[in-house]
Amino acid sequence: MTGKQRRYKLVTTFWQVVLIATLLALWEYASDRWVPALFVSKPSVIGATIWKWLGDGTYANNLWVTIEATLMGFVSGAVAGMLAGYATGAWRRLGDILAPLITAFYTLPRLALAPLFLLWFGIDIEFRVVFAATIVFFLVYYNTFFGVRDVSAELIAAVRIMGANRFQLAWRVILPAALVWVAAGLKISVPYALVGVVVAEMLVSNSGLGFLLASNASQFSAAGTFAAIAGLLVIALVNDWLLTLLTRRALRWKTLGLGGQ
Amino acid sequence: MGENLLELAGVTFGFEEDAPPIVEHFDLSVQRGGFVALLGPSGCGKSTLLNMAAGLLSPWEGEVRYGGAKLAGLNRQVGYMTQGDTLLPWTTVARNIMLPLELRGTPKAERGPKLEQALALVNLGEARDKYPSELSGGMKRRALLARSLIYDPPMLLMDEPFGALDAQLREVMHKELLATVGRLGTSVLFVTHDISESILLADRILVLGGRPLRCLEEITPPWSKPRDLDAVRGSAAYLALEIRLRGLLREANDLTLAQSPKSPGKAA
Ligand SMILES: Nc1ncnc2c1ncn2[C@@H]1O[C@H](COP(=O)(O)OP(=O)(O)OP(=O)(O)O)[C@@H](O)[C@H]1O
Ligand SMILES: [Mg+2]
Repeated sequence: MTGKQRRYKLVTTFWQVVLIATLLALWEYASDRWVPALFVSKPSVIGATIWKWLGDGTYANNLWVTIEATLMGFVSGAVAGMLAGYATGAWRRLGDILAPLITAFYTLPRLALAPLFLLWFGIDIEFRVVFAATIVFFLVYYNTFFGVRDVSAELIAAVRIMGANRFQLAWRVILPAALVWVAAGLKISVPYALVGVVVAEMLVSNSGLGFLLASNASQFSAAGTFAAIAGLLVIALVNDWLLTLLTRRALRWKTLGLGGQ
Repeated sequence: MGENLLELAGVTFGFEEDAPPIVEHFDLSVQRGGFVALLGPSGCGKSTLLNMAAGLLSPWEGEVRYGGAKLAGLNRQVGYMTQGDTLLPWTTVARNIMLPLELRGTPKAERGPKLEQALALVNLGEARDKYPSELSGGMKRRALLARSLIYDPPMLLMDEPFGALDAQLREVMHKELLATVGRLGTSVLFVTHDISESILLADRILVLGGRPLRCLEEITPPWSKPRDLDAVRGSAAYLALEIRLRGLLREANDLTLAQSPKSPGKAA
């Protein structure tokens, strides 16, 4: 980075801080003057709640449960989605046979399955994981499926003539070619995994950030609700940052010709 | 000339079952060490013939014979340089060119020298660590050529290999190609739109056209095998051939247009 770029970044960050500080100050001022504090609370009170939760382990416990469920839901849904997407994409007959079934499940509102999952898995972590996994599954499934189908027939033909067997073709050509799509599917599905877990926790559970959110809201504690949202915000931001980092590394070849680094 | 390495014997093929075939009872042969150019209008079926020779398409009728035996499945004895860009975009030029060696399980020790030789042949040594997205169109074609030559196949199928190159580079590539296939005794089946290219390179030029496809004329340029391309280009025979082929190609073009379904020629 040159000195000029660094300076530009610094100034941008400065204005971002100013903007957020102004908004918080405005919120603090408006609360109880223009809007009842019962509804919007105050940054100072929310800050105090956050501080308290940091100290007494409320965050540590519930955050961890949510993160764990999100990760498990994401990984299981993504692995299943990639396998199924690859199989149905590469093996045309199988894809055609399964297509109506998959479309049916895809168009079914996932929330409608919640009572059933609840019946099967109870209110423990499995329910959230399965719920999130079904959402992730379809996102990754369709991206993998189309990625695999999108690989040009000419490329496949050329590589087969060069000597590739079925396994080499899958591993050396189809998978990497589909990876751009798969990576896109993985990237968009992480936030959805989090949404799935939080919704499940809000519906029925006794732990997790979604539970914290729902229980504080039901007790009319605006400060507690906002503090729970702040916890979610942190997870979401860390998530996004990690994903950007990972996909940028994996798809570096893609941007090379376009003047990227 | 020796016996035929590749033979298409009475092949019939079409993409749709209920439409008239694109190729019907068609014969084509390439003798060992021969260089056959297919010249014909766009869409007449040249790539289709190459795909049958490669075993990617199976004829409805007739058979494809390679090295005397009937071809069943893919023909992995050939190097196939297809019309499009089939480099793997996620890996470097060097790894792309070495890909056939890896896929065929060539011992690691042999790969390095072969790569160097192939890179030198197409003059891509400088670009070996670049990714395909960083190459010009001409560099991509050269990498594709190197990749189809690296495993020394007895036969090369080339589908408009030099279409994207500028005149200068094309001349260089012509010389290199002739020198290489001459040295190794490689047989070539070469599709082109370029009349002068066909005259310079081929021992036999087949002018194709019509639907179903037929061979309008077979021309055997009179130059001997190790040929001096500059001398050929300056000769009177070259000019006469060019004029003759131009006329034939125009005829093939009209014929293809007139016989293609959905064309105004047929409706009239
Ligand atoms: N996969 C396909 N499905 C259906 N029709 C096809 C397919 N590929 C080619 N065709 C048709 O077959 C005919 C011959 O195509 P082919 O690609 O062999 O032509 P070509 O002589 O190589 O033309 P060009 O010089 O433009 O490459 C064309 O009319 C084309 O529309
Ligand atoms: Mg073609």
